[in-house]
Amino acid sequence: MSTTLDRDAQRVRAGRGSHPGRPSGVPGLTIIATLVALISLMPLGYVAYMTVATGWDTAVALIFRPRVMELLSNTFWLVVCTVPACLVLGVAAAWLVERTGLRGRRLWGALLAAPLAVPAFVNSYAWVSAIPSMAGLSSGVLIATLSYFPLVYIPAAATLARLDPAIEQSAASLGLGPWAVFFRVVLPQLRIALTGGGLLVSLHLLAEYGAFAMIRFDTFTTAIMEQFRSTFNGQAGNMLASVLVLGCLLLLLAEVRSRGNARYARIGSGVQSSPSILPLRWYQLPSQLFLLALTALALFFPLWFVIRWMVVGGPAIWNLSEYLPALTQTLGYGLAGAAVTTAAAFPLAFLAVRKPSWFSKTLELANYVTSSMPGIVVGLAFVTVAIRLTPALYQTNTVLVIAYALLFMPRALVNLRAGLAQAPKQLDEAAQALGVSPFRAFLRVTLPLSAPAVASGAALVFLAITNELTATLLLSPNGTNTLATYFWSYSTSIDYASAAPYAFTLILLSAPMTYLLLQQSKKAVGQ
Amino acid sequence: MTGPSPSRLPAPAVSPAIDPSTDSHLFLEAVTKNFGSQAVLKGIDLSVTRGGTTAIVGPSGSGKTTLLRIIAGFEAPTTGRVSLSGEAVAGPDGWVPAHKRSIGYVAQDGALFPHLTVGQNIAFSLGHIPRARRKERVAELMTMVRLDPDYAKRRPHQLSGGQQQRVALARALAHEPQLMLLDEPFSALDAGLRVATRRAIAEVLKEAGVTTILVTHDQAEALSFADQVAIMRDGNLAQVGNPFVVYTRPADRATAEFLGDAVILDAWMEGSLATCALGAIPVRRPPVQGEVVIMLRPEQIRIAEDGPIRGTVLDTVYFGPETTVRLLLPDAGETISVRHWNAAIARPGTELRLRVVGEAVAFPKG
Amino acid sequence: MLKRKSTLAGIALLAGAALGLTACGGSPSASSSSAGAGASGDGITVYNAQHEALTKSWADEFTKETGIKVTLRNGEDPELANQIIQEGAASPADVFLTENSPSMTQVENAGLFADIDKDTQDQVPAAYRPSTNKWTGIAARSTVLVYNKDKVKESELPKSLMDLSQDQYKGKWAASPSGADFQAIVSAMLELKGEQATSDWLKAMKNNSKAYKGNSTAMKAVNAGEVDMAVIYHYYYFGDQAKTGENSKNIGMHYFKNQDPGAFVSVSGGGVLKSSKHAAEAQQFLKFITGKKGQEVLENGSSYEYPIASEVPANAKLTPLKDLQAPTVDAAKLNSPKVIDLMTQAGLL
Repeated sequence: MSTTLDRDAQRVRAGRGSHPGRPSGVPGLTIIATLVALISLMPLGYVAYMTVATGWDTAVALIFRPRVMELLSNTFWLVVCTVPACLVLGVAAAWLVERTGLRGRRLWGALLAAPLAVPAFVNSYAWVSAIPSMAGLSSGVLIATLSYFPLVYIPAAATLARLDPAIEQSAASLGLGPWAVFFRVVLPQLRIALTGGGLLVSLHLLAEYGAFAMIRFDTFTTAIMEQFRSTFNGQAGNMLASVLVLGCLLLLLAEVRSRGNARYARIGSGVQSSPSILPLRWYQLPSQLFLLALTALALFFPLWFVIRWMVVGGPAIWNLSEYLPALTQTLGYGLAGAAVTTAAAFPLAFLAVRKPSWFSKTLELANYVTSSMPGIVVGLAFVTVAIRLTPALYQTNTVLVIAYALLFMPRALVNLRAGLAQAPKQLDEAAQALGVSPFRAFLRVTLPLSAPAVASGAALVFLAITNELTATLLLSPNGTNTLATYFWSYSTSIDYASAAPYAFTLILLSAPMTYLLLQQSKKAVGQ
Repeated sequence: MTGPSPSRLPAPAVSPAIDPSTDSHLFLEAVTKNFGSQAVLKGIDLSVTRGGTTAIVGPSGSGKTTLLRIIAGFEAPTTGRVSLSGEAVAGPDGWVPAHKRSIGYVAQDGALFPHLTVGQNIAFSLGHIPRARRKERVAELMTMVRLDPDYAKRRPHQLSGGQQQRVALARALAHEPQLMLLDEPFSALDAGLRVATRRAIAEVLKEAGVTTILVTHDQAEALSFADQVAIMRDGNLAQVGNPFVVYTRPADRATAEFLGDAVILDAWMEGSLATCALGAIPVRRPPVQGEVVIMLRPEQIRIAEDGPIRGTVLDTVYFGPETTVRLLLPDAGETISVRHWNAAIARPGTELRLRVVGEAVAFPKG
Repeated sequence: MLKRKSTLAGIALLAGAALGLTACGGSPSASSSSAGAGASGDGITVYNAQHEALTKSWADEFTKETGIKVTLRNGEDPELANQIIQEGAASPADVFLTENSPSMTQVENAGLFADIDKDTQDQVPAAYRPSTNKWTGIAARSTVLVYNKDKVKESELPKSLMDLSQDQYKGKWAASPSGADFQAIVSAMLELKGEQATSDWLKAMKNNSKAYKGNSTAMKAVNAGEVDMAVIYHYYYFGDQAKTGENSKNIGMHYFKNQDPGAFVSVSGGGVLKSSKHAAEAQQFLKFITGKKGQEVLENGSSYEYPIASEVPANAKLTPLKDLQAPTVDAAKLNSPKVIDLMTQAGLL
């Protein structure tokens, strides 16, 4: 395949300006995309630079110490226990909803995705306020599983709904029983959904601060935050960050390897029949009870406690002079972050869809890597770099919005790519052949066609920002508070009642995200 | 079914005459295109007459779509020159983008804008004319492409594939292009619709007098649509000429076999007669003497009671209007295929008499 | 058509909002936050490591009296101290308030504090400010061992903070090692007992104690019987008692006294940054909080910290400061970075 680079080289050889609007270059876009990718690599660069700057001996002393081993073991066991639990719960729930004669399938389908609307730290707050003694690994696994299993459920359900039943029917005709069909045919086809979901859960586990801090379970992220609280950006914290980043990169690599080149597209044409539904008969009741217990713990339990604390607190907890500015601030960050993220992701998505090459893949990879960076690392990097290199931007909304953009770029990218795929290059070319300049063709054809996807990507970024805690704590300008930081400051001083209105608002704001994710995953599998 | 007598055939155009005559609309000179290290076009020379219809035909991967995209201005050639009406649009001196080339372009799937109605699609390039006149013009164009103007309010997905292609054509015609480029516009249609749509579009373009270039992998489509056919293979033009010439007098064996069924036989060339399993067959302008292969089209071999050659029927394949009959030539021990309308006369084992009509084409052996 | 137009309009709106917000971002804290205008406008920025509620009531009173707006950035002592040091001359901070003095010393040693106004010095007894007068005490708090009255008899209580390193207290006590409060207590221990003893004690602590995030959480755990004892500051108990008492009803208070490291009284500090562009207002703020009105906020408010200046007495519910037999520690010698190093080495951080 040709690359944008060698086309640019060719353009340079041909002489500057002699080829206005040459079709294959898109050099402006390439430059912007490269810039975005470079900025997005800043946190990784920061960690690498700090590790080198710390010096070998100090780094070794700070990395190979018992505390790091303890955190490593905590984080390891957290991942090793939570991910399989999420996979089992997610697949079981998805299978029941999509493939069995479960009563109330539609309702269950929505309810099982709904726990995503409860941010993990709100979930943790509900549990701790109900059972104050909750602490440590087992509590961490419980809360994390309940918070994150929908990340597996959603893609698994979408894939199951789309699997070609003819494949299963062929397997059955080859003499496999229902269980054998599930394990030998259905489960392997869920591989992409499972590895993707598993990666997402693991990255959340590594990045989450609030939920684990609240139950006194130490992970790398909570330990980095403690170091930050004690030393701002001291060496020990930076070294913890580099170990954490290494962990994230290893997870990425593991996912890429286990996904392999797997592609499970339907081969051949024709209309797909609807999947076969297994009647549950006397398993109906146990299945209903299982799902009821799951949603009760993951959704109704935190909701109940948030509402309970609101009732206990009464009208006194609605301190509007705090609440309203925080709400405005949060919405403002959400809007600005969504717009900036979408705008920054656009050149990347455009190159990836329209000019796929090793170059565009590298740019995308850079972003993918950054998205695996926990908010605490991104925050740490931005604080330090802003102080040292761009003091004018230090403690401004600009830095925070850029950090949000880096953290949530993939959400915008995925949607933009899908949206641009709705507007294939041929349509742009058709418009150009009709005498319309490339830029006008973009405005008249590509933009309107990709607008819905762009909007849903922007909405997802918006909602992710409203829930963000870690980077916001580090980077928000003086005197600025968001819903999440107020929630955090109240719930850590055990003023559960005063935290409740913020928790409630966060859940309300997140509810549409759950719906969007559900829709998006269905589309993604369909394509 | 019978070809015209051999003596009336023009000379085979093995390499196209390259001179930008005054009525040459499109002129390509040594055009190459590399994608990375891969050479997709290896030096294309082509001249297209104003108002003429040229089909570029070749198997997939031969580079024909790339060539069309270079003509359209969606790609720039790596080296070489493209001129439209005598003006260079691509070459070392500069490059004119697609939207300034005054071309029409119809893509394989029509590439209709899904967010616009049929009428809005057709009016896409009519922004400069007043609203009322625009509506009129859309209706005119729709009539021209044999579409009910009431369809203007529909969305593209509510139309059949053939209708969509006609909308795409109307949209391209609205722009009043000097050069119409058709990129496999019929390949997505099913057989019956394909022929009808092709005919309709060919008529419209003829009426409009637009120079047209059609890219296709279907040799029957190329032969029936165009008055000049360019056969493309591995990034080169193997032959350019009128359809009859390229079909009956292909430049090489590969072209012969690509353009249709061919009977290929070893032969011995002496003077202008090739001696083979079917006897001595006249060859016009033989390339060499001695050992050659000759090519006949199956329809040149007739079943005739008084024919000089004997053949035993091996088997038959029935196609409805025709039957392909496989025959063993007992004298030479070779097998050939011929066509006949009457399946009943050919039962396996029957002995038939054959006659060869017209000239063969000889190629050097090997 | 209409629907699509509205989508486009939405995108345009989003982009506009973003531009607006990021454009405003040029000046720090352009938000409409309740705390008031940003540092670039009138008013002062306080890097506040004290309890947010306490500083907020000081700030509100101060604004009421002078019309000077106060913007708070909240954090922990060492976090904000290190931040100020990193920011250097570019720091947006005008005033730095802490809960404990080690972070004050750290910023002072970096040479970033301006001298405290004479008026303020005169209000604060010499015992509660360093001889350099680069910062001043603003309040004080006492170390205390809270214990669960149902689970621990008074006779079983340790005689010294140092005793908690003994095996008999394994798993029985808690603290909040990541907090500046506890780190200040350790810095007093370091000053009084030396590095070796402190390092040994911290290593024992890693095995013996449970780590909670925050003193109130630790007290709550003791109250609930999750753990027997916790080393915290005194005012968490009184604060809770003043509210519902729900989290302290089973709590007993044990002051170590006898000049023990565990009887350490920690001085909260306030200083004005040399780089402040509102130095006069910043000095005025310190003068206000160490003045009568400011100290009365401590006496009558809900903070239950000890007033130390302007001869304002402590809240009547508290044991008077002079009865606590606190060890004499030179605040200027409390070394915060060393403590964090030792705690990091012990695996507590």
